[in-house]
Parts: sequence; structure tokens; C-alpha cells
Amino acid sequence: MTVELLNVTVDGTKVQVPKGTNLIDAAKLAGVEVPFYCYHPHLSVAGNCRMCQVEVKGRPKLEIGCNTTVAEGMEILTQKSSPKVKDAQAATLEFILINHPLDCTVCDQAGHCKLQDYHYEYNARPSRFVEDKVNKVKAEPLGPTVMLDGERCIMCTRCIRFCDEITKTSELGMVNRGDHSMIAIREGRPLDNPLSGTVVDLCPVGALTHREWRFNTRIWFSELKDSICPGCSTGCNVKVAVRDNKIVQVKARLNAEVNKEWLCDEGRYGFDRYLPEERLTAPLLNRKEVGWDEATKSVATQIKGQETLVFLAPNLLTEEYWVIKSFLDREVKNYKAVIAYRERKLSEVEAVLISPDYAANFRGAQHVGLVSDKPEQDYVDALARVKADGAKVVLFVGEGAVLKQDLSSDFVAAVAKSSFSAAFITDATSTLAQCASAILPARSCLEKSGIMINRAKRAQFSEALVKFPDGTQPEWRAFNMMAGALGKKIVDGLTDRELTLSYLKSDQSMAHLKISNVRGSGISLNGSSTSSAHEVRA
Amino acid sequence: MGTHKQILLANVRKPNQNKLETYEAGGGYKVIRKALGMDPAAITAEVKTSGLRGRGGAGFPAGVKWGFIPKGNTKPVYLVNNADESEPGTFKDRLLLENDPHLVIEGMLITAYAVGAQWSCIYIRGEYSYPFSRIQDAVAECYKKGYLGKNIFGSNFSHDMVVHRGAGAYICGEETALLNSLEGKKGQPRLKPPFFPAAIGLYNCPTIVNNTETLAAVPWILENGGKAYASIGTEKSTGTKLISASGHINKPGVYEIELGYPLLQFIEEECGGVWKGRKLKGVIPGGSSMPVLRADECANVKIDYESLVAAGSHLGSGGFMVMDETTDMVEAARNVAHFYAHESCGQCTPCREGGHWIEKIFQRVSLGKGMPGDVELVESICSQVAGHTICAFGEALSWPAQAFVRKFPEEFKARIEEALVGINKKRESLNFDSAGSH
Repeated sequence: MTVELLNVTVDGTKVQVPKGTNLIDAAKLAGVEVPFYCYHPHLSVAGNCRMCQVEVKGRPKLEIGCNTTVAEGMEILTQKSSPKVKDAQAATLEFILINHPLDCTVCDQAGHCKLQDYHYEYNARPSRFVEDKVNKVKAEPLGPTVMLDGERCIMCTRCIRFCDEITKTSELGMVNRGDHSMIAIREGRPLDNPLSGTVVDLCPVGALTHREWRFNTRIWFSELKDSICPGCSTGCNVKVAVRDNKIVQVKARLNAEVNKEWLCDEGRYGFDRYLPEERLTAPLLNRKEVGWDEATKSVATQIKGQETLVFLAPNLLTEEYWVIKSFLDREVKNYKAVIAYRERKLSEVEAVLISPDYAANFRGAQHVGLVSDKPEQDYVDALARVKADGAKVVLFVGEGAVLKQDLSSDFVAAVAKSSFSAAFITDATSTLAQCASAILPARSCLEKSGIMINRAKRAQFSEALVKFPDGTQPEWRAFNMMAGALGKKIVDGLTDRELTLSYLKSDQSMAHLKISNVRGSGISLNGSSTSSAHEVRA
Repeated sequence: MGTHKQILLANVRKPNQNKLETYEAGGGYKVIRKALGMDPAAITAEVKTSGLRGRGGAGFPAGVKWGFIPKGNTKPVYLVNNADESEPGTFKDRLLLENDPHLVIEGMLITAYAVGAQWSCIYIRGEYSYPFSRIQDAVAECYKKGYLGKNIFGSNFSHDMVVHRGAGAYICGEETALLNSLEGKKGQPRLKPPFFPAAIGLYNCPTIVNNTETLAAVPWILENGGKAYASIGTEKSTGTKLISASGHINKPGVYEIELGYPLLQFIEEECGGVWKGRKLKGVIPGGSSMPVLRADECANVKIDYESLVAAGSHLGSGGFMVMDETTDMVEAARNVAHFYAHESCGQCTPCREGGHWIEKIFQRVSLGKGMPGDVELVESICSQVAGHTICAFGEALSWPAQAFVRKFPEEFKARIEEALVGINKKRESLNFDSAGSH
């Protein structure tokens, strides 16, 4: 299907844009940023902020870019070339700020606030307003996750539209009129849905904040990293703020092909669950601390050639699955690998975004051919096999290689009876740490960088967010050392980056890719490339 | 006193005119019977010929509006009678709804038949409790008599009519806000485009929204022909218009005048002149959202759409407010600004914030706390609001404010001057300026 292209000019620059494009996107294609607050590419057009006004030659009034679509030959003038537009934008900013408390000094949004950014860029002059400001609620909980500061709100209604159009739960509405308008919930119906925290991401100012993270840090003291949520196989794109090796805020990152700009609460507020409080920091062989070389050599020799059952955590990197598979194929040969995968029933709202599993990268394991396309059946069968005949050799690779719900006492007892078991895990308090004969302190999925493949088979880049504790090794390196102990290493190199490069070289279907292709909004492995769709920063 | 053709008010003072029996005895529900035998397109053509323009304020030609229903439309068509009449100084529709409700209903039925609407609604402002009961009773009478419902007047045409009360918002007189309100949403105007509800209106179906007065003129036009109507008034402002005259005049009330009638003559002859023998200071000719005219600007101005635009104002809804020489224009401006600030729906930024800002400045000036630059500031705010909003409310709040400060600057400046004198006196008494006093 070909889309008709129309010729327009933006500030004199000629561009061809697809029919139906709005003027904000058309300007973007011409390299001009038209500012906006209320517009969002994945919500209905409200047109209320009036920030995106542009001039269209031949029309008497300024038009709002979000609600105007291109026409053949249209001449669009933005703030760059039209004094009228510049004035209108400056005026809009002045209006927005007259009742704003200007409390940037204590506002969590300061530093990543569109009011601040635009004010410096498009107004930057003192206000002429000397009257009393309107007072509104300052810290009103809208629900368990979100707090409202009514005075900071600019009434863009993105949050209302999100709850109306995406979750269809409609908890939010606007009450009162004029400059007394306010975002509000109905009594007894709080903002409490599985995606509720998303409204904070959508809020262009500091009106909505996470109750979890309010007054946590000034954003400029933190490092912002683009990564992937490891919560489920949707692979939502996130931007994570990290300060002093702690995650201080998680924001959704716009990706039209994956999560739009939504994120579920379970994923967003759940990053800490991948970082156990008590970490394993030294390998243990039969409860005795040993060095890494000794530990890996011992494990490697004990499983070489043995009939082995391998439980895999579902949020290892695709590269790690490749290293593990290479090792098992070469040295163990007779093995069965399964991945911790169980589907659950999702509510209607959850189904908007969430996948029915907790298996972020099961597609990665499938992609390298380590597990079958019946992951749940295989997993359940493997659990039963351990319990029934006590498999001789069992490996648990990665924290969460067996789901918590499946770590029953008879399963643990069966593992303890096996002739050899090794667990590559992070949590010192986990049940597996008590029963496996070899314990190897692994790394959390938040401590390594590499490729994850989501349910829709899009390869995306997961970034290391925090620094690992000393004494731990990523699972791939442990297997690499094991391979080295038995002969030849699989990967030459020590860093995640070197691992990814070797992997990309080894994989036929990935050989044409560079790491930079996988970063950003990722790349679909389905053949039909959809990454050409232009995206707009919201 | 001018003799004006009485098309709408001919019967309003007849006893029991609100009753179907009286209305019918006086020749009512005759035109609808005739209309039902006509081609709907011919009715629209007749209204187009008449030049009848929307009486709610915008003055858009009614017949042209009816023609905007998309060709080949398969969705239901709705007709809405906009009886929200919320413009301050306007009370003409109320008179029709109270005293001649069947004229309104007959006009609606003809319109409904012309545009193919099987359902119509009278959206009446919530505060109109008496007019509501009168029009409601009239609708009930019609249902009882079979003039509403299935196959009315023995034709194939069926029509249902509902009276819906608003909840007290000025903005619900704006047609798209009205439609949102009817749908049960918050009464906030919709984004344009789409520009005309005739294409996408109530529940996304083609909807014709007409003012009560406009609809009430339809029976006469169909009975006497569009040409006859067009022969009244001026070339572009045809027919008669109801003027709600109020303020400092001897005989306030609703008057039906032929368009093109001289403004000053209207005050002198119909309204009985400015009260208490005082001189005229200003007139707001079209409801409080329209710019005020100074007395000297009123000379030779005629009451019709074009003349008033030429004079710098608008005919609007015909809310005609007269102010005598003692009127405090700062206070008047503050009063009007307060209304529009209060009635802003709060949807889009310039109107939401600008309205209250203007009010607060006027309030300050009127309380003797004005500052140099306030007048210029109001002017600047007004120019930043008008033309930058979702609906015409931006103009409604900025035009009057702008007109008051532009046309009576000396009053504002004098009040600000007084404030400065007051501040200086206080300053002297507190002895702020003498060195070493603190």
C-alpha cells in the first residue's frame, strides 16, 4: 500500500509528507520542532493547550498543528519564520504560567519539565501578571500510585484521555470551570488500574507525580538510561533514572511499535524485585566458598556428557542463551533446556499492554534454538520429571529459573536428592540456594547489557542500569569459563559489548545488524521492517 | 414610532396564545400541513430565498446551513432548537417560548421536515423554569393531539420532540458545547474542524442547530414566500429581528423591528428615550459579548448586520443595552468581564487564563488600585485571546473588554490616576522618603 505524498513547505523548506499528516509531524519532517503540551500521537486530539499554533498561508487565523492536516501546496510558517506564531506561543506560555505556582525549586518535574523548557525557548520574559493566583489542591492522592498537585496542572487532559481511551476505565475527569478547572476523581473511585502510573509519564508538567518516588531526587543528579522493562515479553521501552546505583524513577519511553508511551504499574514499580537485598557474592561448592575458577571447573567436569536438565530464567540476554546453548551442545550433548514460562489470565485493562507471562526474553531462547515453541508445556513437564524420578543432573541458570510458585517442598527435596545440581542465582535467601550442590553468584538482568526479543519478535536493547556487586559473574561468563575449563572458550572477550558483537557475528539472521540498530526503538525480526515509521517525541 | 411588520410577536400578547386551541384558531399549524405536501428541498430553497439569517448571534444564513447535510447521508438527522439564550441582555426567545410556544413548535416541524429530521430537541437554559413549563406543556398538547409522533397530520412524516433543560452554563449556547451537553458530556465546545454540526453533530450524526427566533420565523416565510420576507429589511439583512431592549431607557422590553431601522430612532421611539432626561453615553447593541458603541458612534447607525459591523460592533443576539451619561464604564467593564471569566469553560488556555486575568485587572482598577499600563495590558491580553481559542468565546470575552478600554480610556486612566494620588498621599503620610527614618 502506498501512501499519497503531498508537497508542502515549512518555513520555506520543501518537504514531501504523507497525506493525513498533521502539521506538527510535517514540521518535524522538515526539521522544525513545533512545541506542544496536550497533543499525543497515540491519544485523541484535544487541541486545548494552543501551544502548537502555526500559520498557514492564506488562512486568516493561526491553526493548531495537532488538528490540522496537510494539503497539497500548503505553506506552513512556524515560530521560526512567523512573528505572529512567535507572539502567540509566548502569549500561551504567559497564560499557562499566570496561575502556575512557579515552585520549580521543590518540583519533581524540574529539569525534565516542558513548562521550563518551552519557557526558556519560546518566551523567556518576565510575566506581567501581578494579581493573586488561584489556589487549588496541592497534594491530593488520586489513587494508590499517583499524587495530584492541582496548581501545577495546565489542563492538557492527557491523563483524562488516557483513562478514557486506552484503559477505558475513565477514573479521571475535569471539574469546575474557567481557571478553577481541576483534574479530579469521583469520590470512592480512585485512579486504580493496572496502568495508572502512565498518567504521570503523560503529564507534561509536575502536576502528577508517583507517590512511590515523590521528592526522591532532582532529576539532574541521576543518570537517564534507555532500556527495556524485563517484566514480561511485551518488552516495553523505558527510561530509567539511576542515582547512586539505585533506581529512582522509571518512565515509559515512546515506541509506536511496542508500548506507545504506556507502562504497567507492575513493571514500573517492580524494578527493585530484580535486585535482592541479600546477594550471593562468592561461589559455593557443597556450602564451601571457593574461587570462580575452581567452581566453574568443578561444575563443568561434573556435567560434561551427563544427561542434564536445564532450567533457564526467562530474562537472560539472547546472547547468553546462545553461549549456554553452544556450551551444552559441545560438552553436555544429552540435555533438555526449558524456560520458566507460565501464562496467566489477564484482565481487559492489563491486556492493553501486558503479556500473559513473566518471561521477558523467552523469544530470545527460542531464537537461538535453546527451547521449543511449547515453552509452558516443556516447563511443566520438566518440573514433573524432577519430582518423579529425580533427574540426575539439574542446572538452574539465572534467578527465577523456576517460578516461586513452583518451588514446592517436594520439588526442593527432589533437587537435593539429584546426583548433581548447580544454581546460577543472585538471591542469597532463595530456596535454590539451600538445596543445590553448587551455587554460582550470578548477575541480575538489570546489571548487564544485551539484546532481548519480545513477544512480537522485536529485538531491543536492554541496558545495564546498576553496577553489579563484586564477586558476581554474568551467566554467560560463567558458562564461558566452564567452556574454557574443558578446552576452548566460546567468546573471546570479557565485556557485554564484546559478547554482543560475537553473537551478532555468529547469528545468520542478525549478521547484518549493528548494536546501534537494536538500540532506540529496536528492530523487528519478522522480515517486514516497520522501523521506518517516523516517531514523534511526546 | 415606526410601524414594523410583526412576524414573530403578532400574537404574543393574545390571551391563552400558549394553548394549542388558541394558536390553531388563529391560523396555526396551517403551514406545516402545507409544508408536508411540498418537496423538502423546495422548503429549504424558500428559506434560502428569504435570506433569513441565524438569530442566535452569528447571523449565518439558515437555508444555507440546512444545505450542509452531506449528500447521500444514511445516518439519522437531528434538529436542535437552541433556546439556551444565555447572552446577557437577551430575553427574546423567552417571550416566544412562554407566550407563543406553538409558533416555535410549528417552525421546528417545518424545519425538521425540510432537513429530514425525525427527532428534535429544544435545549432550553436551566434557569428558564417558567418558559420550560410552557413549552413542555405545548409539546405535551401536540403529542395528545397527534401533531407530534407517528405520521403527523396524516402524512408519512413522523417526528418526536424532546425538551431538554441545560444546567446553567453560558457556553452551552455554543452549538457544539450544546451537543456535548446533550450527549451527557461536560458542556465544552468541540474542536473545529469539523466546522458544521450539519455534517457531524449530535452523536456524530448530521444535526441542524438553529436559534428559537430563527425557527419561529420559518412558518411565516413558508406561508408568505421567501421573497416577501426578503422584501422586509435591507438587502443583506432581511426580515425582522427581535431586540431585547434594556438598561437606562423608559420602556424596556422585546421589540420586533424591521432590520435597517436607525438605532437612535429605536431608542427614542420604541424605547421611549433615555430615562430621567439624561443623555446617552453608550449602547451595547448585540448582547454583552459585543463591543460597546459610544453615543457619538451611534449617529446614523442602523440596526442590521452590516451597519453595526461598519460601526465597529455586531447585531449579535439583539441584546440591546443602553447606558446613560452617569454610567461608570470601569464598573460596567468589570461587570461584563466578571461574567465572561466565570463562564469560560476552562478547556483552552488563552480563554481559561485570560478571562480571569482581565477581570482581576478591572477589579483592581475599579477598587482604586489601578496601575499605569493596566489599560495597555488589557488591550494586549484581549488581542492574545481573541482568535486563539477553540470557540468564539475568546472573542466574546475580549471584544467587550477591548471596546470598553478603547472607547472610554479617559475613565480608566482617571481611575488609575486617582489611585496613584492616593498612594502618593499615603506615602507622604508614612514619610517613607525622608532619609534616615528607619
